[in-house]
Amino acid sequence: MPRHKGRGISTIEYPTGMNQNGDPSQAWIKLKPDGRVDVFAGTVDIGQGSKTVHTQIVADAIGVPYEWVTMDNSNTDSSPVCTGSFASRGTFIGGNAVRFAAERVRERILDIAAKELEASADDLEIEDGTVSVSGAPDRNISVSDVAAAATWGHGELITGTGAALKPYAPVDPETGAVEIEPHCAISYASCIADVEVDDETGEVTVLRLIQAYDVGRAINPTLVEGQIEGGAMMGLGLGLLENSYPYYPETDHRGSEFGTYLAPGMEELPEIESLILENPAVDGPFGAKAIGEMANNAQPGALANAVFDAIGVWVTELPITPERVLRALERKNDGKHEPRHEGKKVIFDEEISIGTIGANGGAVALDVP
Amino acid sequence: MKAVGARLPRYDGLGHVVGETTFVDDVRVPDGNLWARALRSPSHAARIVRLDTRKAAELPGVHGIVTHEDIPRNVYGHLEALGVPADEPLLAEDEVRYKGQPIAVVAADSEEEAQAAVEAIELELEERDTLFDIRKAFDPDAPKIHPWGNWFPYFGGPDEGPDRRKVRKGDIDKAFSDADTIVQGVYRPAAIEHCPTETQVALVVPEASGRLVIYSCTQAMYFSMGVVAAHLEVPLNKLKFVGGTVGGGFGGKVDTAAETLSGLLALKTDRAVKWRWTREEEFLASSTRAPWHMEIADAVTSDGWILGRKMLTLHDAGAYARFSPYGLTKHAFHHAGAYTIPNIHFDGFVVFTNRVPTTAMRGFGVTSVSFAVETHISRIANTLGLDPYEFRLKNANRVGDTTPNGVTLTDPSTVATIHAVAEAAGDTLAPEYAAMTSEPRSGPLLPDHLVTQQRDGRSAHA
Repeated sequence: MPRHKGRGISTIEYPTGMNQNGDPSQAWIKLKPDGRVDVFAGTVDIGQGSKTVHTQIVADAIGVPYEWVTMDNSNTDSSPVCTGSFASRGTFIGGNAVRFAAERVRERILDIAAKELEASADDLEIEDGTVSVSGAPDRNISVSDVAAAATWGHGELITGTGAALKPYAPVDPETGAVEIEPHCAISYASCIADVEVDDETGEVTVLRLIQAYDVGRAINPTLVEGQIEGGAMMGLGLGLLENSYPYYPETDHRGSEFGTYLAPGMEELPEIESLILENPAVDGPFGAKAIGEMANNAQPGALANAVFDAIGVWVTELPITPERVLRALERKNDGKHEPRHEGKKVIFDEEISIGTIGANGGAVALDVP
Repeated sequence: MKAVGARLPRYDGLGHVVGETTFVDDVRVPDGNLWARALRSPSHAARIVRLDTRKAAELPGVHGIVTHEDIPRNVYGHLEALGVPADEPLLAEDEVRYKGQPIAVVAADSEEEAQAAVEAIELELEERDTLFDIRKAFDPDAPKIHPWGNWFPYFGGPDEGPDRRKVRKGDIDKAFSDADTIVQGVYRPAAIEHCPTETQVALVVPEASGRLVIYSCTQAMYFSMGVVAAHLEVPLNKLKFVGGTVGGGFGGKVDTAAETLSGLLALKTDRAVKWRWTREEEFLASSTRAPWHMEIADAVTSDGWILGRKMLTLHDAGAYARFSPYGLTKHAFHHAGAYTIPNIHFDGFVVFTNRVPTTAMRGFGVTSVSFAVETHISRIANTLGLDPYEFRLKNANRVGDTTPNGVTLTDPSTVATIHAVAEAAGDTLAPEYAAMTSEPRSGPLLPDHLVTQQRDGRSAHA
């Protein structure tokens, strides 16, 4: 039988926010005279859905319906600083910035509502667009009427600003040690890959991915699943298909268009089971950590382990192409795939190490006692 | 209804799927715009002997050509604010260090006329030896890529310091001496493309006031605005970035690619200028994910404890540093993966080659090490004859454990995520492993070699 099934597992962690911090996001919010909410933040939506997530956070932090909230992230004149949509920082840092701004807006709404209701702001709560007195729900005023009263009666603009920044964490150049946490949170994930390997053609087919991600809190589970599934396909490309330099380290035969560069497509889509775990971060918005980048990190290792489980060879140069699978099987059949044993050392992959390829045993090669 | 936790549809989803969203290339200006094209190095490594744009400038439809001489500040580094010195010119001056490096840009009435002018620019090069294999960068006879040498020397900051990112923790020699087995492996993920649907593109419109309005596909408007302002030596109120909606980035649009040169052409011609990279430029001249070379040696016990890790990482930066020192440092901070390893010796180098500069891509710095560590972990389990779930669970991060750089973990989920996938896959764990939690270690799960690493932990939340 040329086709062999295998299962591999991989478990990873990934930080939220720029490594060593120092990457601010800021936001400001204003209310229209009918209580509708305008959010201004510089968070770029690169397809991850940050506008959706930011507006969800603002709706709940103020206490108004989601449909009331609009976000403008279109330019640097109207929006304050966002360091950028990278480092899996949008939901946590950008989300905290709009949350802090929304909390200021909520306070201003309560101040005006307190005057209108002749109550203490401390006794008021906001839910679904209505401000009411705790324990006396009949004494209430809509946020729309509060905004109108502010505009036409009190001559005030209800607004709020927020800024999220964790200070830069210097690193000791000799030990790598830091004095403060160099990230906002850490997310975790595990991935199981079920594959089928054809030992005649070298092809690896991914049958199923089972993946569990602890994202702290899923602000929008559909978007989290979108990240998990989209990321899985990128991880599958990295693991099995893609290579800018197919003959690395040589530079020949680079793909210069989609027709000559092998990226994953729908035909490679395996069955994907996505599990969302919620172990909240104490200082994330509503407990959120992150999901963005890590979603393509777990698959390559799981795939390499599944290939070993299927046919008993380790392919540790990516991508795991049919050619590499067949060459590894050839080495196995020639008795050359086994690690070298030296004392208590078990040494794999010696032929591709810097000690073998570099001159004089590789100037910076690992010194393993 | 609460919004948080709800499966609300994408805010901008409908516009995207019906084709109504305005991306940069959809923007039109009333008086039309000029089109930019770039002269790029045809060579991987060469000295520029002669660059003459005079004939090209005389061609029909050509409004302006920009070379390094036109740029107020040509050399600027993406990480200067973090103390990383600049090394990359916006347009090449005396040397080209990768194939596709921009040397000059032309603005003309059409893309065809701009391309014709690019081809009329006279360029004479003197070829140099090339380096592509990072494993040979340290060889005595290796071609020298960079004035700094072949690897980044500033891990102690701008006053130099270590030429590598170091992580040292615990007593590595004791760990290797105490080990029953030492497992070594080598892991080499490839460079890959970001493959955005939208190629790099910018439209710059000069206003009568002297301001530049920059329509940008950047993933980071303020970051890119800072880069443009630095090259042009103007305050931020002279620039307005318009963006926020991107047709695919994945890290490749953290680099500021088209904005600055389009802005210089707009200033020089006093016309709106659009520069949209061809698909071929996107594939061949834009940055890639880095190829990495990682060697791991783990000191382990027969019953499945990881006592220590020695690791060497070579990160292929391509021709210029860009974000590579940042990415390597992040890599170093996470090279233990989701496990607790009490004794650590890590050296990581940012190595220069004559490859297109590598840059951020989804999982920057960590994607590589996740692959290496996870394959290595399963290899160790197989070598020791242990179950891959059990080996992972035993060494999993738990509350109170510390990272390689000494941060105490407060809410790890290694155990929970392993339990979740094992259950979903129908794999039954032995009772003692099924009962594991992320709670602080005690009893047989707190052997002597893990006690010290807990005590040495530093403040978690600043």
